[in-house]
Amino acid sequence: MEVGAQREATQPMLVVQEETPPVVGVRAKDTEHETEAAAVELVVTQSEVLAPEGRMDYDKLVDLFGCQRIDAALVHRIARLTSRPPHRFLRRGVFFAHRDFNSVLDLHEAGEKFYLFTGMEPSSEALHLSHLIPFMFTKYLQDAFKVPVVIQLCDDASFLRNNNLTVAECKRLARENAKDIIACGFDIQRTFIFTNISYTRGAFYENILEVAKRVTCEDSIGIIGGSQEDNIGIVGFPPVEAAPSLPSSFPHLFPRNDQPRCLIPCAIYRDPFFRMIRDVAPKIGFQKPSLIESKILPALQGEESSKMSASNPNSAIYVTDSPKQIKTMVNKYAFSGGQSSVELHRKLGANLDVDVPIKYLEFFLEDDDEFEHIKKEYKDGRMLTGEVKQRLIAAISEMVSRHQRARAQVTEEMVDAFMELRPLPNMFG
Amino acid sequence: MAAAEQGVDAARKEEEEEEEQVVNPWEVSAGKGGIDYDKLVDQFGCQRIDDALVGRIARLTGRPPHCFLRRGLFFAHRDLNELLDLYEKGEKFYLYTGRGPSSEALHLGHLIPFMFTKYLQEAFKVPLVIQLTDDEKFLWKNLTIQESKRLARENAKDIIACGFDIERTFIFSDFSFVGGAFYENMMQVARCVTMNKAIGIFGFNLEDHIGKVSFPPVQAVPSFPSSFPHLFAGKDQLRCLIPCAVDQDPYFRMTRDVAPRIGYQKPSLIESRFFPALQGENTKMSASDANSAIYVTDSAKEIKTKVNKYAFSGGQDSIELHRKLGANLDVDVPIKYLNFFLEDDDELAHIKKEYKEGRMLTGEVKQRLIAVLSEIVARHQRARSQVTEEMVDAFMAVRPLPNMFG
Repeated sequence: MEVGAQREATQPMLVVQEETPPVVGVRAKDTEHETEAAAVELVVTQSEVLAPEGRMDYDKLVDLFGCQRIDAALVHRIARLTSRPPHRFLRRGVFFAHRDFNSVLDLHEAGEKFYLFTGMEPSSEALHLSHLIPFMFTKYLQDAFKVPVVIQLCDDASFLRNNNLTVAECKRLARENAKDIIACGFDIQRTFIFTNISYTRGAFYENILEVAKRVTCEDSIGIIGGSQEDNIGIVGFPPVEAAPSLPSSFPHLFPRNDQPRCLIPCAIYRDPFFRMIRDVAPKIGFQKPSLIESKILPALQGEESSKMSASNPNSAIYVTDSPKQIKTMVNKYAFSGGQSSVELHRKLGANLDVDVPIKYLEFFLEDDDEFEHIKKEYKDGRMLTGEVKQRLIAAISEMVSRHQRARAQVTEEMVDAFMELRPLPNMFG
Repeated sequence: MAAAEQGVDAARKEEEEEEEQVVNPWEVSAGKGGIDYDKLVDQFGCQRIDDALVGRIARLTGRPPHCFLRRGLFFAHRDLNELLDLYEKGEKFYLYTGRGPSSEALHLGHLIPFMFTKYLQEAFKVPLVIQLTDDEKFLWKNLTIQESKRLARENAKDIIACGFDIERTFIFSDFSFVGGAFYENMMQVARCVTMNKAIGIFGFNLEDHIGKVSFPPVQAVPSFPSSFPHLFAGKDQLRCLIPCAVDQDPYFRMTRDVAPRIGYQKPSLIESRFFPALQGENTKMSASDANSAIYVTDSAKEIKTKVNKYAFSGGQDSIELHRKLGANLDVDVPIKYLNFFLEDDDELAHIKKEYKEGRMLTGEVKQRLIAVLSEIVARHQRARSQVTEEMVDAFMAVRPLPNMFG
């Protein structure tokens, strides 16, 4: 079967052999792997997450990818080292997997430095909630560990993927998205935001080529889940997303003799991209970046459908939504695990495994006790779907309003300031 | 036109079937009897330069055409007549050529496009951009980035020694210059070329690393004036003429295919044959075989030794036989070299006649060649020794060229 054929929805396959070699092949070349591949049911590509049984099996994914689980001990260690309660996303297991995160903590304990790298691909003007997740978490990590953050806006990827966009439009989208990112509350003294189209030159370009020289076309096509019909810009893109994990990509931030390790908070489906750079980095004299990885916020309609996609408006809550829109979206589209009638519900209770409002509360309701209470009451049938949804609407509306207020205060000058090529003298203070 | 420009896919099939010549930027090999240029022109879909076109160039520029044109070293083109039509109407163009700096040892074959481009610059009074593809060499060779950059600067000195006008010439290396508008154009080109297309044009395969597959747009975009906002701001439709060796044609076939799709003009091309190795026509000179070529660093003694010892002769084995049968000019390398480097048409014609008819011996022909080459190389070495680091900086400075069309 050829590389291109993996796109056929009828034959989802994910073959992962071992951590090295880093290839996440989306097809089985060797017959010995054929049966293994056929047994795998999950398909994880960059733009779609499908779970044929109606539920993402994260355990299976972690096993397949070969990353580690974040356990309670690790969460406690983070709390201890940072002298503050761990973020909700850690407590709830939203950020649930990692690679070499313990190494980062060891370094931190020893007084060594690391920096954070996260980013996004601008795809539409309005961000939706799942876009915010890595940024909310990265801001927490910045505050907790007192380390710098570099944020990459992949406007080049937006351009390469979408024939209808001009370069100017992609640059504009990137700037608009930057405002939402800034609204998450990053510290300007410790944060550098950049867009690929503006930043690719010099040391960054050199690192892109250093990485590119060590990744075959076949591997790259596998990583991006693409085919030979993709343009050469897209096939050549993975090194661009990998390069920010090499500190020498930022000569204005990190002097040559002081090359800190990198920690990348990201969604779990980015794992194949970063496994590639973890394999390549030591070959060019750098430490492997560590990863801390999140689950994916399900679409309102449930985990069965694709993850929140800006191209399918019904499935997402946008950061520009009004309270009324949020109320309508949740009431109308959020898939309920409750029973079909009140009587049945009081008797049987809700199925929490498929209930989307509960999943959203898991992500967004801060108070652990309240969350536990709601789960118990709902599962035992004492709380109804309507009440759970009402609580969710309130929680999300508050969060979205807060974001909108912060976003309204972000000026063009602030965007310029975050994007300015400048040293950050207090970045580890 | 487009169908002919697609010709390479058919050419590739034909190559595979008949095991004949291969011509692409990374491999040049001929079947028996050397490169068949007629076939190449057909396969690639470019045009021959005929006497009428050479005459036209002479007329338009008010000076004798360059030796390389008179002798058919630059022998093929794409849309050169269209460019001259525009020039005649007062519309300007700029020149673009380049080099992949893989070693410090340049040979005469490397100098040819630069010697010719200098003539074009003077004759047409137009600006020139020169690209040093240090990124390409890093990607294809076993070089570090630092070494590639260093080689680019060293090669720039030899290029400057060819005599380009600093008021009209911008030299750049990719590692230093890629970014901004140049990079945006790279993205535009990349979006228009699929992996399959790149494989068809350049012969890549899936085991190649992605640096190679991403590179072609880098060599394409200097054909577009908007890649150089410090030079050509507001002149998005300015035409470009690319003097190059014919093995570079695939890059520009791709560029010409993409250009109209992104709102740019197709560049015109003027293409040269391969300069034969001393040992004969079958391959182009190789920087990795010291005896296959005359290097710009060779001493007079080394030139004499190389020509005497390695230059393939079309003369007969003995003087008697030679006086009787004469020389085979088709395979004689010294004659081919004289064809390119001996300025005087009459003297060349005389030597050819005498040699063909057996009255002039190989040794005498070689002696004349040694003198010609020694002079060229010595002149280059003198000019090269006067090129300072400051001059390199000056040619490579990102600056406007206010008198570039003067």
